[in-house]
Amino acid sequence: MLEADVEVDRRDFTVLASISVAPGERLALFGPSGAGKTTLLEAIAGLVPPRKAMITLSGRVLTSTGKPGIALPPWQRKVGLLRQDPGLFPHLSVRDNLLYAMRGAQDLAELGELADALGIAGLLAAMPARLSGGQAHRVALGRLLLAHCDALLLDEPYTGLDASLRRTLTDLVISLVAERRVPSMLVAHELAETQAFADRLAVLDQGKVLQTGSPGEVVLRPASRRVAELVGYAGFVPVPGSAGTVAGVHPDRVTAGSHPNRGLVLSGTVTRCRPAGVLWEITVRTSSGSRATLVARLPEAAPTGQDIVLTVLEPPCFGLDGTAVGIGESAGLPR
Amino acid sequence: MSLAASADPAIVTPPAPRGGGPGGVAVPRKLRSVNRSLALAGTGLIWIALLGPVIALLTHLSWHAITSSLSAPGAFEPLILSVQSGAVTLGVLVLLGTPLAWALARGALPFPRVWETGVLASLLLPPLVVGLLLVFLVGPYTPIGHVLSGLHLSATDTFLALVIAQVYESAPYYVLGAQAAFAGVDPRLEQQAALLGDPPGRAFRRVTVPLAAPGLAMALAIAWARAMGAFGAVVIIAYHPTALPLQIWTTLQETGLPSALPFALVLLVVALPLPLAAYIWSARARGRRRG
Repeated sequence: MLEADVEVDRRDFTVLASISVAPGERLALFGPSGAGKTTLLEAIAGLVPPRKAMITLSGRVLTSTGKPGIALPPWQRKVGLLRQDPGLFPHLSVRDNLLYAMRGAQDLAELGELADALGIAGLLAAMPARLSGGQAHRVALGRLLLAHCDALLLDEPYTGLDASLRRTLTDLVISLVAERRVPSMLVAHELAETQAFADRLAVLDQGKVLQTGSPGEVVLRPASRRVAELVGYAGFVPVPGSAGTVAGVHPDRVTAGSHPNRGLVLSGTVTRCRPAGVLWEITVRTSSGSRATLVARLPEAAPTGQDIVLTVLEPPCFGLDGTAVGIGESAGLPR
Repeated sequence: MSLAASADPAIVTPPAPRGGGPGGVAVPRKLRSVNRSLALAGTGLIWIALLGPVIALLTHLSWHAITSSLSAPGAFEPLILSVQSGAVTLGVLVLLGTPLAWALARGALPFPRVWETGVLASLLLPPLVVGLLLVFLVGPYTPIGHVLSGLHLSATDTFLALVIAQVYESAPYYVLGAQAAFAGVDPRLEQQAALLGDPPGRAFRRVTVPLAAPGLAMALAIAWARAMGAFGAVVIIAYHPTALPLQIWTTLQETGLPSALPFALVLLVVALPLPLAAYIWSARARGRRRG
């Protein structure tokens, strides 16, 4: 169990977070760049001194600013941190990098097993400079696991790797975390990456945890308008008949035509249409009620200037103060 | 042409011919090869000029002079003395200079510029001046001199004096070289070692030193060459016992150039192999790292 209650001062704000991760659980921290995600991980790893904190891992106190004050140095924490830069020691072969944290020879069988699982068994004699990005990450991951860390912290580890490699590495980490029952945390600023990894997702902004929930829940039921913006809701349209309430429109949760039983029906005029992958990104100026702009990704193109009717599927609705007031019908959408 | 290109970006404009006229492409190519040969000749000239003294030494040595100079009784004593004091000097540099270089490279000292200026000062002061000033620092009538004489030691005209002079002449080369070597080690790798369970001392031994080793070896080798050839400060505070550079100087004064040259050769033979070995070793270490 990893429990961290942390206050760290940054230049422009204070990171104030309280998280707990069970053994074998995977928590992802999602948030924009500069939200304080890395700071939180570094405070847990002991690289950044917190102003106020209580951090425990498997019953051991790592940091405590109470009395008596405790601040274990990084080398006594047994916290594994994997970053974008794999940080392999360039003067050591892959084998020696993997063995770096091992004390004694009893684990050599484990080295072989893990190298097989990671697909790096054929690279043990190679020097890190010869490895590709994905191979270097596998070795760095293997090194952390052989160090028998009590927690695994992944700080944007896959940035710069291609999509299929990310998927393979994510699956690998998931199975290894489950097998070793260590609490693990992943930090990323790409939603899809965190969703692929996590069984719990925390949204961090300006140093504060705005919402924690299942990866699906956070996206479909954002707790506030700010969370909705962070997870990709690109438009907010007034809900007819309830003053001050807006419905969040996610470009991918819009369908063409009028389907009043599935959500909020809007009509408007197409102001722009451009390709987005295999879909068309359509910007619409609504005409029903007060005017607003929304973006939808639809399979069919629509010429600029054309009138269009859209249904926003089960939109989350937010009150004047930005907090969620419900989904679709429960928020009082007219049928 | 440029108008057409800007009107339709799909048209790729061929590079404008340089030199103009037919064969405009061939002329620059010829020019380029002339340029390259000129550059090569220039570099070769500089190389020969730099090595000129060594070449002159080798061409002016006669076998007879070597045998007669080196067969004189006690001819090799200065050599042995120089090697001994040089070894002690290197030991002192490694023990005291390495931590200083590391602290400078990691910005671990308050007022880093002040420290750096101190190291640079001993590099920029002429050795002869350093020698003169050392008399005021460690001479027999100074506080340090008194302490030393209480220990039955003296820092003038002794082995200790020779080591002190050599340390002053070679220390900046080692400290600055080692500082650059440590600065080249990514601190995140040291951090990574800490996260993998290494306390700072062990991380220094397992990560920092091996990664800085090629640079450290070069710095040490240069310091060795400087210590072997130290003359300016040595001639002031350690005229006796006679080290190799002083032997060359006195031989030159007493019996002339031809009999001094063999000792110059000895000095080169002693001073150069370590730097060369260090150079080859560090080049290999870097190559190994590239895999």
